[in-house]
Amino acid sequence: MHIPDSFIPLWQAIFYWIIALPFIFMSVKWAGKEMDDMKVPILAALAAGIFAIQALNIPIGMGTSGHMVGATLVAIVFASPWAGVLVLTLVLLVQGFVFGDGGITTMGANILNMGVISGFVGYYTFAALMNHKLSLQISSFIGAWLGLLVSALACAVQMYFAGTFPLIPGLVAMGTYHFIIGLVGEGLITAVVLTAIAKSRPDLLENSYIADRGVKA
Amino acid sequence: MSKNINASSSNTKFLYAGVIIALLLAILSPFLASSDPDGLESAAEGVINEEKLAELEEAAPAFSSPIPDYSIEGMGKAGEVVAIVVGTLLVLAISYGLGKIIKNK
Repeated sequence: MHIPDSFIPLWQAIFYWIIALPFIFMSVKWAGKEMDDMKVPILAALAAGIFAIQALNIPIGMGTSGHMVGATLVAIVFASPWAGVLVLTLVLLVQGFVFGDGGITTMGANILNMGVISGFVGYYTFAALMNHKLSLQISSFIGAWLGLLVSALACAVQMYFAGTFPLIPGLVAMGTYHFIIGLVGEGLITAVVLTAIAKSRPDLLENSYIADRGVKA
Repeated sequence: MSKNINASSSNTKFLYAGVIIALLLAILSPFLASSDPDGLESAAEGVINEEKLAELEEAAPAFSSPIPDYSIEGMGKAGEVVAIVVGTLLVLAISYGLGKIIKNK
């Protein structure tokens, strides 16, 4: 879902940067308050893992592939969507500047879609489902899936404003592909990784996953 | 205090495990990843006419990156492995360094 430079006119791309900047600023502020020597290794491990897994495109049929985004996973581990914004911003900076994966002018839109929208929708959906006594697996699966789907629909709307995609066919195509990418690439991997963390390091999820006290939302 | 020391060393273990998994993914993904277009590219192929799509795809990026498309000329799959490993280590270093700089206290 990395938008290249040519897909959005410059003035609109700058507009998305202007919207993204306060979110990036807030994510740095979150880190200033919540990061400590204990949590830095966790953040770094997740960031490296997400960069690497984004290189692994999974075939979904229809001649199409997709990969995990990861903002919901990071947000759940740190019990804050700002953590997802921070990690995705760093990953997108390296992808854009070093590998030309996603444009530089369009990086604001990419941070907004993958860092902000997918992470916020994913995390708060997860929190709401946990508070309705659904399991960690089901809640994180649905949250991560929905976060990815909504961010793809937002991307389709941006493509419409850009004059690049027609509205309805764009929404249908982006929605169809990312409905499936969200199930396999996002939902399943998020649930599996969280299950592994819950088994090996349950203390890491103490803030995000307290079965009988609900989730901070 | 001892609880902190234990948690600190297990967080270091978490980091090592994460880095090993990330590097395994980086090494394997050039061989395992699907080369089919991603969701956005596929959608573009389906909803934009060919002429306009060719124009958009051939447009030069705003910034010319040092390792475009995770490939190093003449190195084939090995070049892709190197590119993704370098990227993974770069993200690791930046997130660790930035985390240490902006952390609380």
